[in-house]
Amino acid sequence: MRINGVTIADTFAEAFTMRVARIVITGRTAKWAREAAIKLTGFATSVIGCKCEAGIERELPPADTPDGRPGISVLFFTMDKQSLPEQLIVRLGQTVLTCPTTACFDGLPDVPDRLTVGKALRVFGDGFQASKVIGGKRYWRLPVMEGEFLIEETFGMLKGVGGGNFLILAEDADAALAAAEAAVDAMTSLPGVILPFPGGVVRSGSKVGSKRYKNMVATTNDPFDPTLRAITESEVPKGVNSVLEIVLDGTDAPSIAAAMRVGIPAACRPGVTTITAANFGGKLGPHHFHLRKIVA
Amino acid sequence: MSDIITLSLAEQPAHALIADCIAADRFAGLDAKAIAELPVVHGGRPETLGEFFKIRGGLSSVVRVEGELARVAAIGAGMAGGELTIDGSVGRDLGLAMSGGRIDVRGHAGDNVGGARPGAARGMTGGEIIVRGNVGDEAGARMRRGMIAMTGNGGQGTGVGMIAGTVVVLGRTGPGAGRFLKRGSIVALGPIDRPATFRYACTYHPPHVGLLLRYLRNRAGVTVADRYVVGRYERYSGDLAEVGKGEILHWVGE
Repeated sequence: MRINGVTIADTFAEAFTMRVARIVITGRTAKWAREAAIKLTGFATSVIGCKCEAGIERELPPADTPDGRPGISVLFFTMDKQSLPEQLIVRLGQTVLTCPTTACFDGLPDVPDRLTVGKALRVFGDGFQASKVIGGKRYWRLPVMEGEFLIEETFGMLKGVGGGNFLILAEDADAALAAAEAAVDAMTSLPGVILPFPGGVVRSGSKVGSKRYKNMVATTNDPFDPTLRAITESEVPKGVNSVLEIVLDGTDAPSIAAAMRVGIPAACRPGVTTITAANFGGKLGPHHFHLRKIVA
Repeated sequence: MSDIITLSLAEQPAHALIADCIAADRFAGLDAKAIAELPVVHGGRPETLGEFFKIRGGLSSVVRVEGELARVAAIGAGMAGGELTIDGSVGRDLGLAMSGGRIDVRGHAGDNVGGARPGAARGMTGGEIIVRGNVGDEAGARMRRGMIAMTGNGGQGTGVGMIAGTVVVLGRTGPGAGRFLKRGSIVALGPIDRPATFRYACTYHPPHVGLLLRYLRNRAGVTVADRYVVGRYERYSGDLAEVGKGEILHWVGE
């Protein structure tokens, strides 16, 4: 299969089950909501080193937020249900609580599995906190020097999908980067999906474990490193000199598939030879995204 | 089973009619005949609900009460769930000690809305009461949880002895509001006579008030101007004769 002369490899991306929460941050202006969201999602590219993966899902107009102010929707992923509240409590407490004018709401209100994140953060109020029940939901009001910080008591938790991906194989680094940017632009703000890496793009795709260092959980994906083509069992075709990866996390598999359906064609640009994907033979996770089926 | 149960006042009571049997959740398991046989007290004498109301429908927790009900007291007393809409003004003790559900009054209400039974430590412990008109004295007295909103004026002693919860007054709030209040909020959009035992803290944008007023506007259809939703409020902490963890929030402008 080819799109705009770019070969779509007959392979699949392999993804795994994660736990996900959706956080809605509002602020007096969109700037302040975004400031908090950027800090919250900082250093959250991969569970390998960050213990969580997070990203901005989309900007929300005032009409779509609980308090009628500009907002940002953030998706937050961890590998298990225990670490999700731990990460949220630490990160919300240090980033959203500290950010002027913000308030914090649950973006998965109908989900039965609840995390008592706001309830845990309330103790910052040192006994001066107060709660309010509005429309059946409990909110905590934490007195802060600016005024008050408002946070919902509980946040919903879903089973999500992490590790959706595709690789862009290009003739040179410029072409790979332009294709990756085009793909990211096409997938940005799609519902239920985030691209947790810088600018949505990964240059250092990894393989599980190490050939040399026992303690390393992940090391460079040498089959796709062009500089190692001559000395490894390379999967880099002749004429390819740069590879970039797009990683996607989503609230469910269809959301990831929908994003890949627009992202892959967008990456099929001049200078790109092949779109392929990373998998581990089906041993890593239950979610398989077959590239040709998705873009067919 | 019907979508809604309608009670229409057929016989205007000559005396106070205590109809504490009217509660949305209580009607969910009763047909029209059983509802009509529920006991009421009229002028101190036992009667039945059917002697005063024409009842249509049954087995529903969505209830509408129609008529001039100023002499009917204790509607919604002890209600724990469901929706009760009242087309007309009601007497005292509306939603007395209720614990859940919503009461929506398209008219005025008498004294002790959401209040406590005589001698009880707690008034309402949950649910919502919305009155689209004026309310008598001591609305929300000793309430422990829940929300009372009135689009008109509040009488004397609104929120007296509140333990927690929220009372919103869109009109004028009468004297003595919040006396002996432990926790909880009285949100006054209009003028208010504050007790001397409340102390000014600051003027700010309380985020929960915007959320609450938007909820009233969007969910309950209460007309609330934007200037109140996004406005600044003076915060008075009190009652300092009690634990002082409550507040009066008084709108002062955009």
